[in-house]
Amino acid sequence: MFSTSSQRKFWTFNDESELARHREKHNLEFISKHGHHIDEYQRYNFFLSPDEERLLLKQYELHLKEFCKRFAPPMPKGVVGTAFHYFKRFYLYNSSMDYHPKEILATCVYLACKVEEFNVSIGQFVANIKGDREKASDIILNNELLLMQQLNYHLTIHNPFRPVEGFLIDIKTRCSTLANPERLRGGIDEFLEKVFLTDACLLYAPSQIALAAVLHAASKEQENLDSYVTDMLFRDAGSDKLAILIEAVRKIRSMVKMVESPARERVRIIEKKLDRCRNEENNPDSEIYKRRMRELLDEDDMPHSGSNRMSLDTSGISQVLSPSIFN
Amino acid sequence: MDDQACPRCKTTKYRNPSLKLMVNICGHALCESCVDLLFLKGSGSCPDCNVPLRRSNFRVQLFEDSMVEKEMDIRKRVLKDFNKKEEDFATLREYNDYLEEIEVIIYNLVNNIDVVGTNKRIEQYKKDNKELIMKNKAKIGREEIELEEILENEKQMEEFRRQEIAKMEDEAKKQKIREKEALIDELMFADGDAKDILNTFAQTVANKQEEVVPLLPKVTQFSSGVKFTRGSSQALPIIEEGPLYKYEPLEIPDRCGPDPPSLEEIMKNGFLHHVRAENETEKAGGYTSTLPCLRALQDALSGLYHAS
Repeated sequence: MFSTSSQRKFWTFNDESELARHREKHNLEFISKHGHHIDEYQRYNFFLSPDEERLLLKQYELHLKEFCKRFAPPMPKGVVGTAFHYFKRFYLYNSSMDYHPKEILATCVYLACKVEEFNVSIGQFVANIKGDREKASDIILNNELLLMQQLNYHLTIHNPFRPVEGFLIDIKTRCSTLANPERLRGGIDEFLEKVFLTDACLLYAPSQIALAAVLHAASKEQENLDSYVTDMLFRDAGSDKLAILIEAVRKIRSMVKMVESPARERVRIIEKKLDRCRNEENNPDSEIYKRRMRELLDEDDMPHSGSNRMSLDTSGISQVLSPSIFN
Repeated sequence: MDDQACPRCKTTKYRNPSLKLMVNICGHALCESCVDLLFLKGSGSCPDCNVPLRRSNFRVQLFEDSMVEKEMDIRKRVLKDFNKKEEDFATLREYNDYLEEIEVIIYNLVNNIDVVGTNKRIEQYKKDNKELIMKNKAKIGREEIELEEILENEKQMEEFRRQEIAKMEDEAKKQKIREKEALIDELMFADGDAKDILNTFAQTVANKQEEVVPLLPKVTQFSSGVKFTRGSSQALPIIEEGPLYKYEPLEIPDRCGPDPPSLEEIMKNGFLHHVRAENETEKAGGYTSTLPCLRALQDALSGLYHAS
């Protein structure tokens, strides 16, 4: 139940400014940690600003959506929703300069597959990735524990998909004024797909998002479900609660309406900037990373041949993503 | 006894006082060290008669005459199967005939007369009386247990009596000492006539002896008649009984939304028309469509009041 979940307690925030504060904080932390040798003015040019990070992550959320859509075997919706949650949560407390989003993206989806009991092996999983698959699977498995730790092991996600089913059942049963509620499905699916490109799932309850989706789809079909909400759902609740819900639904719908993909040209510039300023310790292609991995392996007293797997070559996961920006 | 010797290594009791002769089912003796030597692998054949033997079947020879040993072995084996009781026969005559038959079989086996035929007879008997044999075996087992229990009981009673007596004696001794001291004290400090004091004390002593408290017998069984222990001396663990369990309905956490319909309402109010009905296979597995329906409705309504 959402009301008693870790999702509500730790991962549902008050408003967008709180989210922005978190992101900004970790952006600044990264810069002050890694930028002490660069003067103030240069810093601005060298590192990503919070806005640039935002834009970059938006782009990668689109990649995430595409990746899941093309995934074979076809993925249940719940996995996609969960992966989105993980991705957003991770970058709330981490900078994209620290961990490259393309790596975290694949890890999020992989972990979501596990948590949502969508059974794919790592081999099957990386078959969906173009490029060096062995390297990709190394990166995913190396990052998996990090991701779980950053999520504070709050792995259960309440997605809006089941609430949508609940509302449809309820509408069919109790609200006979609406003819054929099944025709709302197209609108609902479209809405929910876009919802995950916004921060709504970090701000509102899944049932609120689901209700917003249902109401949006109804209005698209020139139907009005307001009476269902006021007379059925909120009959026994006070008007203050109704007001809160109406505001939430309005906000969610406006957030979805504002969704737009970032300009390709800008993202390309940001990506280039990121390649220069990213934390080399977490870059599997860098010398530092390879050396650290080797040290770790030596510590584990593992046979030396093992380090071959870790010294990854350059072309790995950059191909995870749909080819839109890479060709 | 002095001429007792191992037929294989010729060691005698005189030369090796710790010599122990062992016999197996064939009745031929061997000393312990020869057994160790010959049956290193657990089985082998008797050096006298070449009968295949198992090492585990060797035991210490009790009788000087190895034929007696052999007969004991055979008797034990035969009686395992010929275990009918007098009650199993209609007349005494029949029972006696049966006992006679057993003796004939044993005699034949011991003296190697018609061994094959006798063994066939045993097999035949076994086949014919399979059920009875099994039944009697179980009965013997039960009787043994009962016997054991009776012995145990007697032992306990004995122990109890012994303790009682010891306790009484102890008590009496202590009592005597105390009385003596009291008497001396009285004689030292009281003003009355010494004779009177002596008389009153003798009186109280006589009275007291009558009121010896009988000891409570030790409890050795449950109220159901089952013994605390049977054979083993393990004590049963004592289970501390707390207050009786009282059911309290689960506290339902705040749903943060309107109340979902109950399971009855879901079945009554037609919610089920809008979910996929379970098929026969799923029903067998315990799945009903009410549960996912309830879950979807609960999820839909939970959190609707959520306010940032």
